[in-house]
Amino acid sequence: MTAVVETHGLGKRYGRKWALSECTLSVPAGHVVGLVGPNGAGKSTLLNLAVGLLTPSTGSIEVLGQRPAAGPALAKVGFLAQDAPVYGGLSVADYLKLGTRLNPGWDEQLARSRIERLGLDLGQKAGTLSGGQRAQLALTLAAAKRPELLILDEPVASLDPLARREFLQDLMESVADQEMSVVLSSHLVADMERVCDYLIVLVGSMVRVAGPVDELLATHHVLTGPRRDPDALPAGQQVISASYADRQTTLLVRASTPVMDPAWTVSEVNLEDLVLAYMSQAVGGNGRHNRHLEVQK
Amino acid sequence: MTWLTWRQFRAQSVTAIVALAAFAILLGVTGPHLASLYAASRVAGCSATCTHSATNFLGTVTGTDTLVYTLGVAAVILAPALIGIFWGAPLIAREIETGTFRLAWTQTITRARWLVSKLAVLGLAAMAVTEGLSLMYSWWAAPITEAARLAPGANFPVGMGPFSLLAFDAHGIVPLGYAAFAFTLGVTTGTFVRRPLPAMAITLAVFAVVQVAMPLGIRPHLFSPVHSTISVAQRFSGQESVTGDTFTLTPDYIFGQPGAWLIASHAVNAAGQPVSIIPAACLGQRTGDPMACMASHGIEVAVTYQPTSRYWAFQWTETAIFLALALALAGLCFWRLSRLS
Repeated sequence: MTAVVETHGLGKRYGRKWALSECTLSVPAGHVVGLVGPNGAGKSTLLNLAVGLLTPSTGSIEVLGQRPAAGPALAKVGFLAQDAPVYGGLSVADYLKLGTRLNPGWDEQLARSRIERLGLDLGQKAGTLSGGQRAQLALTLAAAKRPELLILDEPVASLDPLARREFLQDLMESVADQEMSVVLSSHLVADMERVCDYLIVLVGSMVRVAGPVDELLATHHVLTGPRRDPDALPAGQQVISASYADRQTTLLVRASTPVMDPAWTVSEVNLEDLVLAYMSQAVGGNGRHNRHLEVQK
Repeated sequence: MTWLTWRQFRAQSVTAIVALAAFAILLGVTGPHLASLYAASRVAGCSATCTHSATNFLGTVTGTDTLVYTLGVAAVILAPALIGIFWGAPLIAREIETGTFRLAWTQTITRARWLVSKLAVLGLAAMAVTEGLSLMYSWWAAPITEAARLAPGANFPVGMGPFSLLAFDAHGIVPLGYAAFAFTLGVTTGTFVRRPLPAMAITLAVFAVVQVAMPLGIRPHLFSPVHSTISVAQRFSGQESVTGDTFTLTPDYIFGQPGAWLIASHAVNAAGQPVSIIPAACLGQRTGDPMACMASHGIEVAVTYQPTSRYWAFQWTETAIFLALALALAGLCFWRLSRLS
């Protein structure tokens, strides 16, 4: 499967501070990819690099096989920036015109029907729209460009729960209609769970884990049993997080084969716990041996 | 892209059109009165009494006309500064501040093309507005300009010779250069400062310094000036001051060189050396003309000046300098934008 975004040793520095460093990842095509990570993990930096708004300090990034922001790449990538910035003085109708004028591949019919369905007033100024409507307008602009890849930077972070639900639902319908790959970032795992079928956990600019959601869920297990040393687990079972009570050990392990040891009670893991385990692993600082996690395709 | 440039520029273009219209109405309403004064003074078609007629005419220009003359100069000279501040500085700085550049630069259009459209459309609009003001004003002030040429020593509240500080800046083609320069200065400052308000302040400060430095420091040296001497006996027009046995002579203009730009002058003796002591023979002379006495002792005034015939050479050169600066700033802006990340 071809990659929509591929990076090697990608880094971005502001002055002395690295916003993103040594980031190597490959995002496969044909998925709705969730990029999850705590604030400051470099998600926004990575996405801005992918659309060419930023240029790398080190390393390389290719989007749909091309350097970002080069002429042809611009047409194939739709972008919804964080907080959905809009020109407040332009009306909704002006936005449609902007889309037509600035994008050769503009799908006027798609844009019109979306605006109609959303119930946006063509004469209304973008500056007076609600946060949810603004995000929807920005999504319309990005989607009607007919991109092969749609990149959304924290699209729902500033929306209330209802607007968030509507936006994501609408996004999913667009994706189904248009057959485009999507990468969206968020620090809200619950939202990701609803829309993404592929997940990348980025912590401290490192990819902690990446893979199709169902595969991640199938290969991670929660083991509960009497207290014992997690190092005693057989090869092929990797401990992601461990917590101990007086007599009990709870482990989240990654195992390619089913865990058969009768000493453990094996239960399924939910996505939120899985993501949190990888995030806290980084905070705890014992993620060293996971640095070169293989990326599942 | 041109559409978006104009659309985002709507408020400013309406302001500019209103300002141009207001200026045109002001000049259109007051112009006929000035023209009637000019016609009554018989300056047009004069032969022997031109200086006299022109001086008389300038004497009748008072009140509203003087005010409009002054306002007009101010409008033409301030227009580039205002354009630099209100059109140029916020153009990109505001996009950066509000984050809308992320929207603009991720459409199917490169930043370079985006910038070309902004700079070309708005830069040309800036030049058109400023030159429009200048042309309207030149038309209105034509009688005064002509009279000032014929009666260079005449009194008038504002300097009017073609090379006078304010008049040179307000006439001809230099307003084009100033407008282009001020606009690109504002835009480029905005890309470095990234916030509209500081960018506006810096643009104003830099442009003001350039506006002052150009006529005072650079313009006099664009062409090497002519050195000559003028007689103090006849047709000397200027200030003569005598303190004890020293004197100074400051000519107003050079006879035979109407409208010339007098850069420096001082009295010299027959040997060509600077002199400030009145010859003993002329001291205490109660009868006769002391100036004639000094002239008979070989005293003249050495003058350094730029002749009127160079007026358009100065206009073209200065315009070219500012257009070149504007292009250089535009280049800097492209460079900066390509690295803005």
